Amino acid sequence: MTSANASNGRGLLLVGHGSHLNGDSSAPVYEHAERLRAGGDWAEVRTGFWKEEPQLSRALDGCHVSDVTVVPVFISAGYFTNEVIPREMRLTGKLSCIDGKTVRYTGPVGAHQSLARVIVQRAMEAGGQPGDALAVLGHGTPRNPDSERNIYQQSGFVRDLGTFSEVTTIFLDQEPNMRGIFDVVEAETIVVVPLFIADGWHVGETIPEDLALDGVETRRGGRRLRYARAVGTHPAVADVISELAYEAGAWT
Amino acid sequence: MDVSREDGLAQALASGISVEFGQLTLRAENEGTVLVAGPGAAADTVSPTPAALRERVRYDERGRYRPLSGAKSMPGGWCVHIAEAALPDALDALYPLALEHLAAGARAELRVVGLEEVLERQAGRYSVAASLDADGRRVASEVLCRQCVRVPVWRGEQIDAAEHGGVASIPCPEPCSVLVSLCREAALWQQSPPARSEPDPTVAFAAFETPGNEMREAYLAAR
Repeated sequence: MTSANASNGRGLLLVGHGSHLNGDSSAPVYEHAERLRAGGDWAEVRTGFWKEEPQLSRALDGCHVSDVTVVPVFISAGYFTNEVIPREMRLTGKLSCIDGKTVRYTGPVGAHQSLARVIVQRAMEAGGQPGDALAVLGHGTPRNPDSERNIYQQSGFVRDLGTFSEVTTIFLDQEPNMRGIFDVVEAETIVVVPLFIADGWHVGETIPEDLALDGVETRRGGRRLRYARAVGTHPAVADVISELAYEAGAWT
Repeated sequence: MDVSREDGLAQALASGISVEFGQLTLRAENEGTVLVAGPGAAADTVSPTPAALRERVRYDERGRYRPLSGAKSMPGGWCVHIAEAALPDALDALYPLALEHLAAGARAELRVVGLEEVLERQAGRYSVAASLDADGRRVASEVLCRQCVRVPVWRGEQIDAAEHGGVASIPCPEPCSVLVSLCREAALWQQSPPARSEPDPTVAFAAFETPGNEMREAYLAAR
């Protein structure tokens, strides 16, 4: 498939948070961009970040095509996707005209239904079986009620797929808190899937510490908890990004 | 190379001279390749992919993460042989947008945005940055920008468009997020001045909240 046929010469701009302090946090964004570039469906695939370079406010300077789709590699729709990214990038809505370019701005990766399949894949990779409970673990925050919406929505999509007999939602920083996981599900084995973009500080350190995990599998009172890798680092997230971008191509 | 992106640089390379590009040295080789070398003598050859190059310069020689691509702390001792056609993407991995901004500057089409506008539009935890006074803004930008190879044209500094005699100065058209972050901390220090500490080069480059951070200590000393 050539770029011209697949995307009509459109470009893709993946935007992530990035970090001034942690050199690894943007790795998933670079990796998804590389996969999409290698796929050859897009005339151009670039990246932009809130706290790395190219910075959001200049990221479009590097786009050489006239029709660019901006996809936020974020889980939640909230402060960053509704305020920071549009403000810094001078977006006026879903469709903007900036410096002579048509700029399409999609919802975040965490809003798309196809991400539910990736959540299920992560659970299966961690050894999950159909009779187990799948717990979708989101960050959440009591400061912003919007941040939980996509987490609950993805749990609903996972439930609809019917792969696991029991699906629940837990959070790092709000109720229902992940520490109560054994009380909120009935299945003997629980697979916890972190709905985060990166295998960073939370997924790699704070969650395993707070849950006192022993590794991939933890045994507690005759029950088992399996801990999956972050959803956002799965290679199939690149397909979710593509789906968001293709859907945006129909906007007029 | 793609001359549409930076004509002067392509011409300089075509004439056979070495070009300083930030902390890099570029020199055209035979058979359509360009040698790109980091600071110092090259001991190893890097794979000519943008990902490999980005990774090679992501941490300084002390192992500190470099959130600012233009920081004059690029690790040395490496080089890469790049096909001319791949040079723009390679340079973009090392100094994002540098070629675009050079080219736009040469065409007098570079969109320049100043610090005042950038600070005024901040919200959330960064909204306090706009309360930093004029002297604080000046000191913050001096402390940070002197660590960077990019020329802050947003501060009014000029680049000689005809200087391609071996040096390609990279324009910086808008304050970066690292400077915004430093202004935020400086605004908090303005409200409640902290004690100074000895600069500690092991503290992360942008950990401005940590005593000993070099930018923090330089700022506090200058104020």
